[in-house]
Amino acid sequence: MQGARVVVTGLGTVNALAHEAAGFAAALRAGACGLRTVEAREGEPGGRRVMAPIREFSWQDDLQRHRERLPEPVARARRVLRNAGESVRLSVAAAFQAIGSAGLLPAAAGSERVGILVAGSNLQQRDTWENTRRQAAGRAINPRYGLAFLDSGQVGCLGEIFALRGLGYSVGGASASGSLAIFQAWHWLRSGLLDACLVVGANSDLSPLELEAFELLGALGGAGWEDRPEQACRPFDRRHGGFLWGQGSGALLLERQEAAAARGAPLLGEILGAAVAMDGNHLPDSSAEGELRAMRGALAAAGLGPEAVDYVNAHATSTPLGDETECAALRSLFGARAGAVRVNATKGLTGHCLSAAGVVETVACLLQLEGGFLHPNRNLVEPIDPLLGFVGARAEPASPRVMLKNGFGFGGFNSSLLLAPAAA
Amino acid sequence: MSETLTGSQQEVFELVKSKVVEVLVDLDPGEVTPERSLVELGANSLDRVEVALLSMEALELRIPPSELAGLANLGELARILNRHRDAR
Repeated sequence: MQGARVVVTGLGTVNALAHEAAGFAAALRAGACGLRTVEAREGEPGGRRVMAPIREFSWQDDLQRHRERLPEPVARARRVLRNAGESVRLSVAAAFQAIGSAGLLPAAAGSERVGILVAGSNLQQRDTWENTRRQAAGRAINPRYGLAFLDSGQVGCLGEIFALRGLGYSVGGASASGSLAIFQAWHWLRSGLLDACLVVGANSDLSPLELEAFELLGALGGAGWEDRPEQACRPFDRRHGGFLWGQGSGALLLERQEAAAARGAPLLGEILGAAVAMDGNHLPDSSAEGELRAMRGALAAAGLGPEAVDYVNAHATSTPLGDETECAALRSLFGARAGAVRVNATKGLTGHCLSAAGVVETVACLLQLEGGFLHPNRNLVEPIDPLLGFVGARAEPASPRVMLKNGFGFGGFNSSLLLAPAAA
Repeated sequence: MSETLTGSQQEVFELVKSKVVEVLVDLDPGEVTPERSLVELGANSLDRVEVALLSMEALELRIPPSELAGLANLGELARILNRHRDAR
């Protein structure tokens, strides 16, 4: 299918490593670690847990950074977010960065040609947990809960704050949600339905209930690493033991290249292709065949072969089965060239940002592109696959021409994106 | 109708006023008087529920929302809350 070319003109993120893009780029280059051992909150089950928490973030202070450039959206955000949950506040913070750096507003205010996609489902589980406890204790629940528990409510919040009135909805596909939303936006822009689309990977605000449930699935890692949390997340390493939750949100502004060039927007990268492939499987088990179909689908959409790819930002959650499956899929895709393609895993630094992961890690790809480097793989001491070209413990200089970004999710979701420097 | 409030009603009104200012972040507190309604002050439907719930919570009251619907102004809200407080 041919269509309009799609570029990225703005990006932003709040995560365990940084509260904005420049800090995130520096942390990636340094191979910084966001993982900490965190105590359960008072009166809550769970004990000590290794995770990558967002630290010292104040949504009100963060808004002040944008007051000069975007005064009206900031004023609306103060009202909309006052009694909102953590997830939507983090979505808005990332979106301010993306929209601000892209220079979209105020020119596009009120536009029906700018859409919004929010990646993720069940985003406000902590709010649900807290309101359930309030109700059980005979206390008043949050009057906004009737709107806030709907993930799609984030679309409305973002639309009101930034005065955007194009297409919009939320997109769910477990940990592939972020990639699915980029896939969807890419199609909207290629087909000409929109000129621009804000894609927000929303923070999955888990409660003790979801954490215990992931533990029961055997998916969560970190047990036994509480005294050295910085070593707990080990994608592709023989001692990997499950994913570590990372808090985070990410945002991208995607635009039709023609529209972006016409308004002189920054061109941070191009999305050459995107694909989604389903396994037909409700379990957390990954499938190399499905992952391969997604990667080949993205290449086919871009009209490229696997030989064009020189870097892979892997899904790589630090889960034994998931990491092994992705290695097998990458070996099948690249064949004899497997060792020549550089591979790294952003989750080793940020933890697993779940719904937001696909967006946060696409931000990481574009920041690496801009900075001319590939970030280190943390804790990759004994690679499970000796043939793949893993980046080592230090960042390496690189100027990839085609980047492959994978995103997979429980329930048989496989998605892949192909990114490249934007042609001037 | 006169908006003169008794001492205890005035006390409840001051509490309600603090909640109004908390909910309507950009409001000048001087604008919050017993004669004004929440709608006039720019509150949407959720803001109104929130002012009522926050006030009730602070006073340790549970009043059915239907009883608080359609009140003319903040003075009336303070009177009803005060009546429930007395009846407790």
